[in-house]
Amino acid sequence: MFKVRSDEPKYAFLWDKETKSENCHGKPITLTSEGDELHGKSLNINDEAGIGENPNRYKQHGFYLNADNCIGCHACEAACSEKNDNPAHIAFRSVGFVEGGTYPAYQRLNISMACNHCDDPVCLKGCPTRAYTKYAEYGAVLQDPDICFGCGYCTWVCPYNAPQLDPVKGQVTKCNMCVDRLEVGLKPACVSACLGNALDFGVVENVPENREECKTEIPGFPRTDITNPNIRFQQTRQTHREMTRTDSVPLKYHKNEKTGIFKPVVDRKKGAQRKWNCKKLMLTHESAHVAFTLLTQAIVGAFVLLILGDFSGMPALADVKASSNYNILLTIMLVLLTFGLFKLNMHLGKPHRFYRGFYNLRHSPVSREIAGVSLFFTALAGYTLFSWLEIEAMSTLFALLGVVSGPVGVYYMYRLYRIKARPFWDHWQTGSAFLGNAVAIGAILIGLVTASLGQMSDSFLSSMALFVFLGLLIESIGHIFHARDLNTEDGEGAASWYEQTTKFGWPYLISNILLASAILMAGWFIVGPVTLKGWLLLTLVVISAAAIKRSLFFALVIPTTMPGAFFWKNEGFQEHAKETGLAEMQQVGVAYDRHARFKTDELIETIKTTSLKEVIEQLKSIFYWKEIK
Amino acid sequence: MLFGRNKKNPVKMVDKGIQKWTYATCGYCSVGCAIEVGTNAEGKVVGSRGVAGADVNRGKLCIKGIFEHELFESEGRGDNPLVRESIHQGYRETDWDTAAAKVKNEIRRIQETHGRDSFAIVSTGQLLTEEFYTLGKLTRGIIGTNNYDGNTTLCMASAVSGYKRSFGSDGPPGCYEDFEHTNCLMAWGSNLPEQHPIIYWRLQEAREKRDFPLIVVDPRVTMLAQKADIHLAITPGTDVVLQNALMHVILKEGLEDRDYIEANTNGFEQLETEVQKYDPTTAAAICGIDEDTIRNVAKIYAKADSAMSIWTMGINQSTHGSDGVVGINNLNLITGNVGKKGGTSLSITGQCNAMGTREWSSCSGLPGYRYLENAEERAEVAKFWNVDPEFFPKKRGLAQTDIFPAIETGEIKGLWLVATNPMTSMADTERTRKILEKLDFLVVQDCFADVETTQYAHLYLPAATWSEKEGVYTNTERRVNVVRKVTEPHGNSKSDLQIFNLIASQFKQSEQMNFPAEPANVFEEMKTLSKGRLVDISGMDHDLIEKSRGIQWPYTEQQADSGETPPPGGKRLYTESGTFRFADGMAKLIPLPFIDNNEVPDEQYPFWLNTGRLVEHFHTRTKTGKIGNTNKYSPIPFMEINPDAAIELGINQGEYVRCVSRRGDAVVMAMLTQRVPRNMVFIPFHFHDCVNRLTLGLLDPHSRQPAFKQSATRIEILEDQEAAAQLSMEMRRF
Repeated sequence: MFKVRSDEPKYAFLWDKETKSENCHGKPITLTSEGDELHGKSLNINDEAGIGENPNRYKQHGFYLNADNCIGCHACEAACSEKNDNPAHIAFRSVGFVEGGTYPAYQRLNISMACNHCDDPVCLKGCPTRAYTKYAEYGAVLQDPDICFGCGYCTWVCPYNAPQLDPVKGQVTKCNMCVDRLEVGLKPACVSACLGNALDFGVVENVPENREECKTEIPGFPRTDITNPNIRFQQTRQTHREMTRTDSVPLKYHKNEKTGIFKPVVDRKKGAQRKWNCKKLMLTHESAHVAFTLLTQAIVGAFVLLILGDFSGMPALADVKASSNYNILLTIMLVLLTFGLFKLNMHLGKPHRFYRGFYNLRHSPVSREIAGVSLFFTALAGYTLFSWLEIEAMSTLFALLGVVSGPVGVYYMYRLYRIKARPFWDHWQTGSAFLGNAVAIGAILIGLVTASLGQMSDSFLSSMALFVFLGLLIESIGHIFHARDLNTEDGEGAASWYEQTTKFGWPYLISNILLASAILMAGWFIVGPVTLKGWLLLTLVVISAAAIKRSLFFALVIPTTMPGAFFWKNEGFQEHAKETGLAEMQQVGVAYDRHARFKTDELIETIKTTSLKEVIEQLKSIFYWKEIK
Repeated sequence: MLFGRNKKNPVKMVDKGIQKWTYATCGYCSVGCAIEVGTNAEGKVVGSRGVAGADVNRGKLCIKGIFEHELFESEGRGDNPLVRESIHQGYRETDWDTAAAKVKNEIRRIQETHGRDSFAIVSTGQLLTEEFYTLGKLTRGIIGTNNYDGNTTLCMASAVSGYKRSFGSDGPPGCYEDFEHTNCLMAWGSNLPEQHPIIYWRLQEAREKRDFPLIVVDPRVTMLAQKADIHLAITPGTDVVLQNALMHVILKEGLEDRDYIEANTNGFEQLETEVQKYDPTTAAAICGIDEDTIRNVAKIYAKADSAMSIWTMGINQSTHGSDGVVGINNLNLITGNVGKKGGTSLSITGQCNAMGTREWSSCSGLPGYRYLENAEERAEVAKFWNVDPEFFPKKRGLAQTDIFPAIETGEIKGLWLVATNPMTSMADTERTRKILEKLDFLVVQDCFADVETTQYAHLYLPAATWSEKEGVYTNTERRVNVVRKVTEPHGNSKSDLQIFNLIASQFKQSEQMNFPAEPANVFEEMKTLSKGRLVDISGMDHDLIEKSRGIQWPYTEQQADSGETPPPGGKRLYTESGTFRFADGMAKLIPLPFIDNNEVPDEQYPFWLNTGRLVEHFHTRTKTGKIGNTNKYSPIPFMEINPDAAIELGINQGEYVRCVSRRGDAVVMAMLTQRVPRNMVFIPFHFHDCVNRLTLGLLDPHSRQPAFKQSATRIEILEDQEAAAQLSMEMRRF
């Protein structure tokens, strides 16, 4: 148990005498009652068996920030990092700020934020490895880095930037609510350290002494409807009509005069000039995702076209199947998919823990995507093998598996990007782009490989051009609607649109021109004669458009996060530090993204030390989850 | 919805395995927080926490204190003495005896050739008081140079000077507890949330219990200004005008405390005559505060049952810093606000032991606030140290800011720098470089070997830092608090006390004197010398200090013997009528005519250049620049500039710009914020080769403190941002 000092100051102790029964969203605050299975269990903090005597142990707790009082002194952040022994580039709690007014009527509003231990923890649902648990004790959402494989998906879905992906250790860590201190009746370290009397902590909806408000919103704080975060605010001092961010995110907050609530609007802080930024675009941290998503979609598309085209008796595709080059085509597809999967796996912080990707089939679209794509990979490999071996029955079986698992995988690939905290992605266009790419690039691939390997009928490429045309059309319609919707929106989506037309204005324009040209070319090829050279050109145009568009997809997303400060948590400065080499000094607090090593020894160790029983139990737990009401 | 994993894994939390907590006092600023340093089973320092029962900080620490334990193993610490013949050569390691002999030989060589005062010593506010006292004894009793001063000239010399001029002695009369009693607080050029966050917390606690007006005088909208009821955005360098105008209104409205003035002060008539010239209308045109606000503030302050003023560098670092302090004292004396609960002039000082050096280092006099100018006091100390009283100079020598020009003119040939970094901290860096280059012999004693002054040194002495050693600090409310040794000095470094003793032992004269090896024994000497003085510490010892979590002076032998336990806090000076330190017990009211000699913005240099501190950094970043969890909040220098001015110049947020002054230039990253007015930029002073390449630093006539905060600059855009980024990086090693 955490040791309480004999002279521990009064402010360090929790103070809740009475508690409410329901939170402001109508959820019960008491999470489990006596006699329940989850009641009276030890948290086993570092394997210590004791049970804390905190009288409110089973009630949802949360942080309280009096934003009027925060002075931005970093004591909370420092106390947290001292307790959790965090290196400079990792922080479970961060202070950012928004500012407004004109000198001398200037105001800076500091916001200190850690994890909000939400009622509906999207991190927990999203995590493919089930590294997260929401505990009945204090309602704490805790994450176990020893389970995590470092995909960072939780950092995408969290609207508050609470989980921290450590590029050095290749794992996520986050605020643990200092449950060890709570067990003995002490407030978390950050709260006890606060020097502005701004931070507090207690059973949610309880208002601390000398405070009057219990709001869920202040300017700069992201929307709360996604997860129902357990944080409450006081902010009674008048703020200016417009509060701006000092970091590089092109957003500011504008007050609705009627409701008094601030909403994010675009801040065109980098002007309206169209720029290139090619290097930034091509070298995004997510380039592995660009390769993986495009390749997987193309191969799934090609596979489904081949199987269903043959099944439905479409002459062009039946010809392909009948040709001597069919198996070579399949083999090329397999190689490409393998490469895509390899890129994805090596993108993980701990690639040797790849097998954990299925653990959260119950809730995580990532798990389902991984399951779907892995099954599809198996199907493609099996189908290819038995096609070479000419064992019809087996290849049919794998074909069946492939046409089901492939689309399922791509569907969940789409679902996983429908993240509410990332409005740029959270649009049906993501799906239409994935579908369009699958069809168009799939058809391009079939056409290219087959036509370059041997003689095909004149109409073959024309038939393929029809699929390319259709695929690109689907994609384009999506883009048109996406652009229209982003333009009429406020907030992060609109900010992404602003960057699409300025920061990456030229690549965006060029990708549109390429896409339009590809549609015209494909349309022409449907009716006119097609040469291999013509097809090659089309391939080049389609792939270029897709690569730029998919890179933009990852580079442009602006999540709903907390405002940063001028250096700390400012993406613009972090980028600058990496470019200039400032990041090489550890004390700058910016870590380079690194490629993780596949630790074969750790994998072998796991295999050696895991009993069959444990494996079966683990497998069982993928499909059987206890849900406790 | 709750999710239980089917099998709950144990919750893993960091356990640093701390086995032992060692008591210390924070070695950063002058707030004087009590801090415990945690060591694990292997004896490695791994954590820190605020001492819960300490009255100053009551368990809290600021960001710097929280990570202070990472200091011991931080980059750039010195392991061994380093020596070289000329500054163009590389250093080679040497042993301590050779190094100490070299110091002695060089001092004597220079003194024999160029005279006793041609070797200068510039000390610091960073050492333990026992070390200051010992360095003073070595300097005044053996080396005999009169050019001996501390870097405290850069931060609180004006406060010292102002206290001496008004009250007859240094020594802040108030305490932190005053916040709990005051009915009006005026903060002059002091930004507690950034500079002294723990004191800010004490103020915040007091304000939550009981509301009272907070008036902040600052040209920037600092965090404290934002919290103020009234913010006076004053024109830089015109505080004295505002003070005179406030007194003008108070006297005109008859709000002064006649009884207090009668019983406690001299010089009222002269003051009255002078302030008559400063009617609010005239004053408003100079200081930029409108006349109605001046009248309003004057009335609030004078009518409050008790009112207090705090100040920091906004007052001190100015050409009239000493006058600004006297002005605050004047204001408090005529309203009867000295020595009473919630009524005081409380200087919030800078370094952890700025007070200790003021009391005991003999820099500007002799130990225990004694004056060189006083024959009796010279004799007293000479007898105690067993030194010929005639060996002492009869008046104070040069201040730090006059020592450097004396090197420039060739009067001083050798210099010993102890724990101070003029290459970053003094105004006009290029001039400082040229000056250091001129020295025949420069010895640098510092806990960091990469402190920038080592570029010009002939000898580097590696010192232990903070709780690698034992001794006391005095904080800004006159509280003596102890630092215990938690770990061995880094490498072959030695405590500053050991270094001074070692060097003293090289001189023959030391044989007839006493240089105790143990800090506690040095403290005993100080106790004896403090008896009957204002700064009476004769009732204290290290153990009692730790037990009491610090004791405010005075605490006398008689009090200790009679069993009077030291109170946790709340001790004030001058609580009785007529007890000021001038012979007649009266304080002086001093008229302050305003002379505007600042470099004000003009067409060529259209911006005020303002400088100041950041909460995450301390002084020249030799400590905080290496600890990631402090440094990361401002890893490179930046400049606050008003967005309207920036737009006019074509500067965008986050771009590097070049600031140019009549002295030089600096490259900084632009931060656009309405925190500063359109004609001012603000640059933090912590960064090497940065803002002090620009500052003028005109000297205050009384305190010799430089005016860092008032100079003029212009801003130029830089086309090649990449080159600017590289240059900004190359200009400092951390």
